[in-house]
Parts: sequence; structure tokens; C-alpha cells
Amino acid sequence: MRFWHKILLAVITLFIAALDISVIMVMKKSWQLNMESETRRAASEQLLIANNIFENLDSIRARGNPLTPVLLASVAESYGDYYGKQGIGLELRENGRLIYPGAGERNAAVQEVQLIRMSMPLPAPYQQLELTYTRDISGLHRQQRELNRFFVMINWISGPVLALLLFLMIKRLTKPLKELSETTKTIAEGDYSNRVNLHSKDEFGEVAVNFNRMASVVEQRMNELSDMAEEKQRMVDNLAHELRTPLTSMQGFAELLTSANIGREDQMKAGSYIRSETLRLKNLAFKLLDLSVLRHHPLVLTEVDVARLFETVVQTEQLQLTGNGIPLETDCSIRRVWGDADLLAAYLVNLIDNAIRASAAGSQVRLLAYEQDGEAVLEVSDSGSGMTAEQCKQAFEPFYRADPARSRVYGNAGLGLSLCRQIAEAHEARVGLNSVPGEGTTVRIFLQLFNN
Amino acid sequence: MAYILVVEDEQPISDLITMNLKLVGHTYSKAYSGPEAIERLGRERTDLILLDVMLPGLDGFEVMQQIHHLRIPVILITARNALADRIKGFELGADDYIIKPFEILELLARINVVLRRNEVTAASFVCDDVEVRFPERQVRVDQVPVDLTAREFELLEVLIRNRNIALSREKLLELAWGYDYAGDTRTVDVHIRQLRKKLGWEERIKTVFKLGYRLEVQV
Repeated sequence: MRFWHKILLAVITLFIAALDISVIMVMKKSWQLNMESETRRAASEQLLIANNIFENLDSIRARGNPLTPVLLASVAESYGDYYGKQGIGLELRENGRLIYPGAGERNAAVQEVQLIRMSMPLPAPYQQLELTYTRDISGLHRQQRELNRFFVMINWISGPVLALLLFLMIKRLTKPLKELSETTKTIAEGDYSNRVNLHSKDEFGEVAVNFNRMASVVEQRMNELSDMAEEKQRMVDNLAHELRTPLTSMQGFAELLTSANIGREDQMKAGSYIRSETLRLKNLAFKLLDLSVLRHHPLVLTEVDVARLFETVVQTEQLQLTGNGIPLETDCSIRRVWGDADLLAAYLVNLIDNAIRASAAGSQVRLLAYEQDGEAVLEVSDSGSGMTAEQCKQAFEPFYRADPARSRVYGNAGLGLSLCRQIAEAHEARVGLNSVPGEGTTVRIFLQLFNN
Repeated sequence: MAYILVVEDEQPISDLITMNLKLVGHTYSKAYSGPEAIERLGRERTDLILLDVMLPGLDGFEVMQQIHHLRIPVILITARNALADRIKGFELGADDYIIKPFEILELLARINVVLRRNEVTAASFVCDDVEVRFPERQVRVDQVPVDLTAREFELLEVLIRNRNIALSREKLLELAWGYDYAGDTRTVDVHIRQLRKKLGWEERIKTVFKLGYRLEVQV
């Protein structure tokens, strides 16, 4: 049974019951009141007639005439005729003996009539006389029957009308429920972008708002999960590629050396390829190991002298920089930061390697340290090829290369920035990457100043 | 033999493939990116493409879409072993699919299968005074037909297709006799001896110490 069925049935039953009970009670009360007033009227009329008869009898007695039954009957008759026209019957009894039976015998004979019948003795000294008053109240009964019929008719009509109106109203009121239910169904089927389109201010509206909030949280989580899964998949693909490529060369050249009929020169070439690919695999293994170690071992931060750090980095990179014809500008305006000197050096070296790869000969690379909003900033920037927003988003992923063709010539595995991210995370530091295609790239790390 | 375009951005692998192609007598050219491959295909008449999937510029699948109209057989080479990738490759019309790391003999075998299917294998092979005609399965020495058994001819063909590469006795059994042959590796020695004697190739078919046999031909 649907919710609206239940409401409809319950409301109709309750309403009709309440209506009927109250109408029946009102009718009963009104019948009672009518009867009372009719009875009162009858009683006062009876009293009036009795008094009149009493006065007549008094005046007859005063004139000295005896009160014979015939005389009494004629007096009663004169009243009986008069009131008979108004539907009121009179009877007069003397000591229980009927002396005037009333005018309108015909009425009683023709049909069953409802009557009020009251008897009272006349005032003294005629107390042996008893006046019986009857009043026809079938009109009142007819009226009551008419009312009853009307009431039943109203019941027959108002029931269906009420049902129809209720149906429309409930349909309208439970429409949001239907909408909610349909939306939840689509979401349950996996369409997380769906939302309830409901703007009422009642409880349904509240439910809809909360539901939509829940749906967006779920959607966000799902997107995060699928992004993560995608990143993992990319990483696995890339790792496979990074492992398979040198392995293919090593295996192939080894086969060539052992089984093929090749000249001295080709033998040398094969041997040197085996060596360089072994180195490549070794580098990859060590970088992966570094990443893993960083991930699993908490760092002990110490005081790091920035100037000395820069010196180490410049020494390491000197050969690469001059070899590629790229000048390095350093500027250091802070003295000490919290960190791990070796890891920070590795971080900067990786970034400068990237900057060198992105830069053409003669274009400058800058290595800066300065204070900003109470934080120490180490910045490496270049005026090289830059990256698109899309590339920036993936730049920190393991094995990601902005330009695969170019980077691979340098034998790098695409782990540099990934390592940088790990180092920053180990320092609990933020890393900011700004890059504009064609204009260059800036990478900043925000560290704690030592004096803090 | 065939003219093969090797599209591979990894210098070592590209060199590895081409050195082996040279050994067995194919000619080749190299491309290191998708656009370069397309440009070369526009210029050179090519019998077969060895196409890496992960390429700079255009990836292998995109290259396949663009050169579809040329109807050149393609063998995809990739480091990714995903079923979806393989299906995509075949749907785009690849003739075969080989996954890194691969054995060179396997690559050469697949190349031969694709070339034979597309009827671009050489009909004959000549060395010294020996002429081998593959369609007729005939061998002549000094224009005089020599009688070879069916198995001897199979073995000879395997040696020629993989010339300059040493093949182990097991490999020869597998390639010339078939996977299900349960014979002794000494069978190979017997047949090799027969071939040497019938063709006068005592010097050409070398015994490689601890390995097997190699047909040595000037590259």
C-alpha cells in the first residue's frame, strides 16, 4: 500500500465519521428542542383553553344554569370546532366519562398521525372535568424525515467529492517524495551527478537540500577515488614501461652478443647499451627506493643553513649548467630553515635538473630563498618551455614526463617531481607549481623558518 | 627481403631491432615519433611497420588511424599488456602484437608470418652457388636440383629466415619440426649434417659452441 493510499483512506474514514457523528448529534438535539418547544406550546395552549372553558362555565353558573353534560358538551364543542381548524383536538371527560369526543375524528381515522396528547383537570370547582388536548405533530416528523434523507444524500455526494479533492491534494503534496525517490533511484544506479530539483521550504525541501549535499559529497568522493585509481593505473602502466624498456634492450642485446654473427663494432654497441640500460634500471630502482624510504620513515628536522645548502646544490649542478650553457642566479635572503639538508639538496637538484631540461641554452635559471608571510620560501624558476594546466596537474605523479621524447634522451624516469613532492610531504611543507607554456615554470616550497 | 619501418622512440630498442633486421637480410628505416613515421611513410614504399604504442607526438594508435589507407601491415610493439590495448590494436587493423620484453627470435618469426601472409617474402634466396626457391620448395646447386626431404627443407628455411643468428637445437626442433615433436635433439644434428653435405655448406652452417647452429651469410 502506497503512502498516499494510506493517507487518503485514513483521512476519508476519519472525516466521514466525524461529519456523520456531529451531524447526527446536531439533528438529535434539534429534534429534542423542537419537541420541547412543541410540548411547551401545547401545554400553554391547553392551559389557555382550560381557562377559557373555566370562565365560560363560571359565567353560565352565575346566570344560574345547571351544568348538564349536554351544556358542557356544547361549550366544549364551540372550542373544539374552533381549534379543530388549527389541527388541535379537544376531548372533555367528566369523572372519566367521555362527554365530548372532539371534532376531528376523521384525522385519526384516515392515516397514522403523530400526536401530542395531554390531559389536565379544569381548575376548581370543576375538577371532576378533565380536558384532553391533542396536537398533530406529523409535520415535525415529516421535516425530520426530510432532513434525514437530505443528510444521507449529502453523505453520498460529499464522500466522492472529498475523496477526489483529497486525492488531488495528496498527489500534490507527495510529489516531492516521488521526485526524491526517483532521484535516489538514479543515484543508486550509479549516476552520481544527479540532484533533486526541489525548492519548497517544508520538510521535503529540507530533505532535498540534505540529500543533495550528501549526493555531492558522495560524487566528490567517487571522483577522488576514480582519480586515485586512474593515477595508480597510470603509475603501474608507466612503471611497466620503465621496467620493460631497459629489460627488452638488455635481453635483446645479450642475445645478440651470444648468438648472432656480428662485427666488432656492433658488439661494442650492444655491450655499451647493456651497460647504459643497466644503469638506467639501477637509477630507477634507487629512486623508487628513495620514494619508498621517504614514505615510511619520519624525518628528524634540524637547522639547515640556506647559504650552505645553496652552495652544495650549485656544486652538484655546476657541470650540467655549464654543459648546457645555462647561467644560474642565486639569491638568498634568509639564513636558516627547519629541514633535512640532504633531502632539501636533493629536492633543489631535481628541480634544477628539470629547469635545465626545459630551458634553451642561454636562458637563465634562478634559485631563490626569501621570507613570505612568516614562512621560508625556496624557489626555483626558469624561463623555459613551461607546461599547460593539464600537464601541471599530473606533473607530480610518478613517471610523468611533460615531454616524453625530450626527457628520455636524458635517461630520466620521470620520478624527479614525484620525489620532490615526497620530500615536501616529509617536511610537512606546501609546494606551489606555477607554469605558463612558453614562459617558464616556478616551483616554490614553503618551509618553517628556523627562528620560529 | 622486405623494407621495414621501425617506429620506436627508445634509441636502444630501435637499434636492437634494426641490428637484428640487418642480420637476417631485411632493409629498414627508423622513425622516432608519430609524425616522423607518417612523414616517412608518405615518402618511402614500405612492406611492414614495427610500431611502438607509446610514442611522442602521436601515439601508435593514432598513427595507425592516419595510415590506414596505405594498407601496410603493422606489428604493434608495446610495454602494456592490457587486453583492452591489444583489442584496440587489432580493431585498428594491426596484423600482430608483441609485448616488451620480447625475444628477438619471436619478433623475427612474427615478422616472417606477417610478411608471408602479405606475400612480400622473397621468393628465392641465393648464396654462393646455392639457390633456394621457397614457393616451389626447390634447391639448386650450380643449377642442378638437389633432393631434400621435407624436413630438411623446413630446417633450411628456418636457418635462412634467421640467418646470422645462432639457433639452439631445441629452437630448431620447435621451429622446423613443430612444438609437438617429441624427438631427440640429436635428430637436428643428423639433419644439419645432411644439409651441409647436400649443399656443400660445411663452412656456411657453423656449429656455435654450447649453443647450436648458425647460417653465416655476409650482411
